[in-house]
Amino acid sequence: MVWRLLQDDGVAAAAGLAADEALARRAGENGSPPTLRLYTYRPHAVLVGRFQDVEREVHVEAAEELGVELNRRPTGGGAILMGPDQLGVALTLHGRAGSPPPPGMVPPERARERMERFSDGLRRALASLGIEAAFRGKNDLEVDGRKIAGLGIHRDGSGGLLFHASLLIDLDVALMARVLRTPFVEITDAELDAVARRTTTVRELAGEGLSLADVRAHVARGFAASFDVALELGTLDSDERKEVAALTREKYETRDWVFQRTNVRDSTGTASIETSGGRIDVSVALAGRMIKAVNVRGDFFESEGALADLEGRLRWTPSEKAAVAKTVHRWARAHSTGTVEADPLARAVVSAAQRARGQGAPYGCFVTPGAREDRW
Amino acid sequence: MRDRTYEIPRDRHYDGAHHLWIRKNDSGSGVRLGIDSLGLESLGELAYVSLREVGTSFARGEPVGSLEAAKMTGAIAAPIGGTIVLRNDDVLADPMLVNEDPYERGWLIEIEPARWEAESAELISGGAIDPWVAAETERLRAEPLA
Repeated sequence: MVWRLLQDDGVAAAAGLAADEALARRAGENGSPPTLRLYTYRPHAVLVGRFQDVEREVHVEAAEELGVELNRRPTGGGAILMGPDQLGVALTLHGRAGSPPPPGMVPPERARERMERFSDGLRRALASLGIEAAFRGKNDLEVDGRKIAGLGIHRDGSGGLLFHASLLIDLDVALMARVLRTPFVEITDAELDAVARRTTTVRELAGEGLSLADVRAHVARGFAASFDVALELGTLDSDERKEVAALTREKYETRDWVFQRTNVRDSTGTASIETSGGRIDVSVALAGRMIKAVNVRGDFFESEGALADLEGRLRWTPSEKAAVAKTVHRWARAHSTGTVEADPLARAVVSAAQRARGQGAPYGCFVTPGAREDRW
Repeated sequence: MRDRTYEIPRDRHYDGAHHLWIRKNDSGSGVRLGIDSLGLESLGELAYVSLREVGTSFARGEPVGSLEAAKMTGAIAAPIGGTIVLRNDDVLADPMLVNEDPYERGWLIEIEPARWEAESAELISGGAIDPWVAAETERLRAEPLA
């Protein structure tokens, strides 16, 4: 089977996103073939997740001063900075239950399995560059606990599917810190270091001399192998160009789309717990009852990679006790080298979340070292 | 999770492709729309929901809202055509209500159908529900976990 390969560089934010959505819709209507689009945005663009509040996620004035475009993806997740060193990946194909499945897919796949299935092409591409990346619980590809790609899936009403990824070939951490807000603190040098330690890039791991063209070729081959298809370089046809232009103008260039808000309330809370293994400090940002971001610090011993993994696993987990405890215990089973214990760690996360929701904290701010609370 | 039984009330119609339910109101006027428990098993917890404005008219298959779940975003495609007469504001502010109580407090919108007799006949209802649920449950059990 042959899929179409599209390559563009220097794409404007609105037009780039409109093309992805239009191709997904048309794929669902059998109006466009399965298409893998590998592209870069013109420097620079901040793209927030489908339901994020731009003003809460972005330093809008700073972005405008720096000429950074703002827009909203159809896919979910957090805000990202895109430019010539971040490869955008958009795979569009028919995904409705009952339709003929794409090669290599068991029909009709569950949403939960699709993300890992779609990310396999990227994982193979990175492996061919000598980078062993793994899919992390929700929507990241990581290398030793450090994020190298963000992932998202959108299902159009037509039945078309869009798999979105942003692959960090390189990253300007200082620029990112100037335009993206963090939910917890103003960015300091220490925070910049922390961001740098929790992300990694293709060039850092595979060589500074690696070009965008090299990486793009590896990604194309990775997807072709993963789905057992051939890729043929193509272009948009005239109907597709018209639809993309209309969607750019009527949706992605409008303030109604970019600056829309939801009724789900954002909130933040913190908690600290003293344990025999050291003090645990947790900050949590919630979207409604879901954990949007979490930051874990303290004077216990744990590797930066393990903490990044914990924070990644907790993102988009319900903040209720049972869900947090399950996630933290799974993390603890995967990382047994540190001194931090799963039970108090989970209690600290839940306590911070309850403070965020204005419910008070049942465990108190500080607990006597070694004291046992009621079990989870 | 693999062996769970999915609650699928028999008092309503289902859109099998999108796992949405529709139930006629007791008053006989209008229908309610929501997501069924099989669909929620696939989606995971809902983080956000948006719904089109009251008064919006739409044809079958057009989006009446969108959602962000743990693993994906997606349009909510209308199983029937009609006009939105009520939105569930509680769900807009707290989307996890849909996961917790999909058939009562977690409903999404009320619709005044445009062609109920014709379009509801193409949904799954009555005696067709049991074999559909059995097939869908088996499919979910058979697929590998991520």
